[in-house]
Amino acid sequence: MIGFDLVSKRYEGDHQALTDVSFQVGAGEMAFVTGHSGAGKSTLLKLLAMIERPTNGVVTLDGQKLNTVRSSDIPRLRRKLGMVFQDHRLLLDRSVFANVELPLVIAGVSPADRGRRVRAALEKVGLLSYEKQLPSALSTGEQQRVGIARAIVAKPAVLIADEPTGNLDPQLALEIMSLFAEFQQVGTAVLVASHDLMLIKRMKKRVVVLDHGKLVADVPATEVL
Amino acid sequence: MNAVREPRRAPEPDKTRRSGPHKVGAWREHHAWSLSISLRRLGARPLGTLLTVAVMGVALALPLAFYLLLGNVQRMGEALGRNQTISVFMKPGQNAGMAETAASALRGRPEVDEIAVRTPKDGLDELAEVQGFSGALQSLDANPLPFVLSVKPRAGLTADEVARLVDAMKNTPGVDMVQDTGSWRQRLDALLGVGTRAVTLLALLLGIAALLVVGNTIRVDIMSRSEEIGVLLLIGASRPFVRRPYLYAGAWLGFLAGVFAVVLAVVLELAMAGPIGRLTAAYDGSVSFGGLPAWLLLAVPFTSAVLGWVGARLVSAHLIHRMASV
Repeated sequence: MIGFDLVSKRYEGDHQALTDVSFQVGAGEMAFVTGHSGAGKSTLLKLLAMIERPTNGVVTLDGQKLNTVRSSDIPRLRRKLGMVFQDHRLLLDRSVFANVELPLVIAGVSPADRGRRVRAALEKVGLLSYEKQLPSALSTGEQQRVGIARAIVAKPAVLIADEPTGNLDPQLALEIMSLFAEFQQVGTAVLVASHDLMLIKRMKKRVVVLDHGKLVADVPATEVL
Repeated sequence: MNAVREPRRAPEPDKTRRSGPHKVGAWREHHAWSLSISLRRLGARPLGTLLTVAVMGVALALPLAFYLLLGNVQRMGEALGRNQTISVFMKPGQNAGMAETAASALRGRPEVDEIAVRTPKDGLDELAEVQGFSGALQSLDANPLPFVLSVKPRAGLTADEVARLVDAMKNTPGVDMVQDTGSWRQRLDALLGVGTRAVTLLALLLGIAALLVVGNTIRVDIMSRSEEIGVLLLIGASRPFVRRPYLYAGAWLGFLAGVFAVVLAVVLELAMAGPIGRLTAAYDGSVSFGGLPAWLLLAVPFTSAVLGWVGARLVSAHLIHRMASV
């Protein structure tokens, strides 16, 4: 579902963010990408989200090579991705419902179907009663769950999250991670960038470790202590 | 939070973007959403919207006002020119037969409506009616006045056509002199020609100004929503999808400004009705006031909407392309 094959990324100014990184994440698999600050976690996700293009190597999403993808095809490919951001990136002047609805509007889903699917997604993250609220009226954890509902509402094949629990207390962080694990169970490939080692250990999922842009360890779920 | 208990499998592909009929449905949904969101955004900042519409509306109302003025001056010129008569003086010594021959020759021209032959005696009688002339005329040994043809040109002739007719009269055998009392019409027509060109150029310039006003309003809107646009692009929105609400907003602003301009022009018409009524009365009703034509009142809002759309399109295409570039 997700593939990195000898992927390198060098930014302008000669900053080498990634060097020859290779790993795959299949359908229904969940993996954490971890490492210290500046290890290349965010760059990895940006390559997958087509925010950046690799300098070398091949990034694949659902069998499609992203290196050579035309700009006009990027929106279609991004619709296969559900993205969760540390800062939520919610539209603050729209209700919770309107925020979660956006991917379905983009997909051209009818209003009746949108209503049904948005409420199902909100129910899944435990925020059904908040649909008319503005995001600013919610707590940080609730806002993050709105972001997750928006990411999963269009049933993406791949879910990626960049430090989704960065601002949350440990209990809430665990709840959010458990939510990701649920989506893994329905066949979604889940890739989460996080530096919270305690949380990663508790989740007992595959862990890809980066250090200075290089993949230094790829620990299967069964070997996570 | 509800636990997911389904067996592990790949997520169902979203079937919503596969079939042809659905593409039409999706297109319709996108436009409906863009339309409603553009209206909501304009409604969310009523003062800003009102100011933009007012600035554009006044700009568009100016050429309408000048068009109204020119149209009425033209009507007045046509109405007053209806009584235009060209006097053709025959050479001294010409008799009635010769004058009638010249009149017959001119009657055959399409520009001529009617011709009256006035004898020297008619002329002398007219002069005698003028106060103070009767004594002087009695002292004359003979009637010195020539035959005169009073020619009434066909209504609706242009200044050029009247000038050609005058030339033809001068070249008619036996004609001594032609006196066109309507030469002021030529000057008025020339002035109206200058005015019409000026109004066309003014309309063009103010149209461009309206386009720039919309463009700038949309530019500010896009810049203030750059984060939102970034989110939309990240979750899979195409550039046309992101752009569409701004295009609708531009078209709405243009349409509302067009309606505002038409309302201003109609108010102007109503304000002019009183003075024009008095002018009409002074000319025994031969001059009437003409308002703006219905087709123009309908065309202005729609043309203005197109202008708004074009302004928004030019700005949004550039800005959103820049934001979407990887």
